[in-house]
Amino acid sequence: MANENTEIMLDGIGMVYKDQGGNDVTALTNVTLDIKKGEFISLLGPSGCGKTTLLRIIADLLHPTSGKITVGGVSPREARLAQRYGIVFQSPVLYDWRTVRKNVMLPLEIMHVPKDEREDIADSMLEMVGLTNFANHYPNQLSGGMQQRVGIARALAIRPEILLMDEPFSALDEFTREKLHVDLLKIWRKTNKTIIFVTHNISESVFLSDRVCVLSPHPGRLSAVVDIDLPRPRTLELTDTQEFTELVSKVRNSFEGV
Amino acid sequence: MTNAKPAQKGFLPALKRFAHSKKMVTLVWILGIVVIWEIFAFIVAATKRTPVNVLPHLWEIIGSFFSDKKVTGKMTMIELIGTACGETLSRAGIGFLTGIVLGYILALLMNLSRVVEKIAFPYLMIIQMIPILGMAPIILSITGDINSARIVIAAILTFYPVSTNVLAGFRSVEREKHELMYSYAANKFQLYTKTLIPACIPYFFTGLKISAPMAITASILVDTLQGGNGLGCMLSQSLKGGMTRLVFWDIVLISAVIGILSFVLMGVIERLLCPYKRNRTSD
Repeated sequence: MANENTEIMLDGIGMVYKDQGGNDVTALTNVTLDIKKGEFISLLGPSGCGKTTLLRIIADLLHPTSGKITVGGVSPREARLAQRYGIVFQSPVLYDWRTVRKNVMLPLEIMHVPKDEREDIADSMLEMVGLTNFANHYPNQLSGGMQQRVGIARALAIRPEILLMDEPFSALDEFTREKLHVDLLKIWRKTNKTIIFVTHNISESVFLSDRVCVLSPHPGRLSAVVDIDLPRPRTLELTDTQEFTELVSKVRNSFEGV
Repeated sequence: MTNAKPAQKGFLPALKRFAHSKKMVTLVWILGIVVIWEIFAFIVAATKRTPVNVLPHLWEIIGSFFSDKKVTGKMTMIELIGTACGETLSRAGIGFLTGIVLGYILALLMNLSRVVEKIAFPYLMIIQMIPILGMAPIILSITGDINSARIVIAAILTFYPVSTNVLAGFRSVEREKHELMYSYAANKFQLYTKTLIPACIPYFFTGLKISAPMAITASILVDTLQGGNGLGCMLSQSLKGGMTRLVFWDIVLISAVIGILSFVLMGVIERLLCPYKRNRTSD
């Protein structure tokens, strides 16, 4: 099943936790999925489907109660300790006492990268997300879209193999979001990361992904994996094509019990 | 970044801006206090035999401060109060700094260990609830020296606001920041130095702004318990008739000014340390 190209292997992952009343709640059940190196995968579903739980399991922020997961052949914990993850949250989670540049340098400081190198990396990351002119601004001087770009630059700064994104654009307006979609795809092409992108937006997931993993709630489960064989590089015009709309309805129709 | 609205020129718009500014509020407050004070001072001057014992005019108080008349054997008012201020403030200052260091360390320990928090927190509350003047004799009997007791009490009063605010600051850091540090495989030391300690600086200064005037007040109050050269010592001597009553009034005024200045100073230091707070955009 798994070949050399597999980056993340999920085998029968389940997650059961106790609620406040002590009852078992099944957040995820029996998720089996192989994610290839350099693949752009979306985890799509309504709230309560366990998509964020699945992302957090991969990130080693949660431990599954059943099943097996390997990341590049090792456990998520080892992958985390090897600093192979870059995480982008729904809110930018910037450090408001640090300038944009120093925010991007933060993970590098933790990894004890020498100062000159840190600055070079931060500058090249800021160039990639188009924020070179804002390097010395503080986060509260930036718009929401720009803040999220800083978050992406910071996640990429440690050169992770895997970029985990948890609804990163859901708090942004439509115009900013579309712009960031195109930019993210450009960054992805340049850097060849494996991207796991959690979203509840169907067209967003179709536009960005190689494959859309459709998760359905009660209990959270993987109900379909839809291949998105749209040509790349993708531009916004693609969203007007018939192939695109057909894929969107295909994805929409693969939900169960919503 | 600049304000969105360009400033209009001319006298009337300038007046209008001033009327809505923070300075205006301060000015109205100060003027209000002066007017009310003076109204009562005039009433007192007209009805009481020794108005200086009840409520002298503000100009008498300020005038006496700068007068070169000797109030004791050797010293003019300004020399006397200057020396007393130095004494009291240095004790308040030492106590304040000690309180900050110990309060901060306790907050760190309480954040690191729930057990420490559970044990320490009730004591913190109790210390806070005992009135200073009730605490002073106990501290005095422990230290055996009134000046050390004055320092210890300033420290105790500083300790609580610093400790609780810093702890609240540590707790205010979002879960995502913890997760971010976790994903970088940061160790505990890095979690504190890179995230928690810088994040709690505004909370720390909230604590300092509360405790700085308190440390000074406590220092003056505990001065009054025994002799010495502090502000409170002079204050009680003046009240007992040992020197002119204007010494009392001058000290009251000076103490108020010092208390406010100590608060303002903490704000200034905070602004110097937190440049990001000065750069907020208007929208």
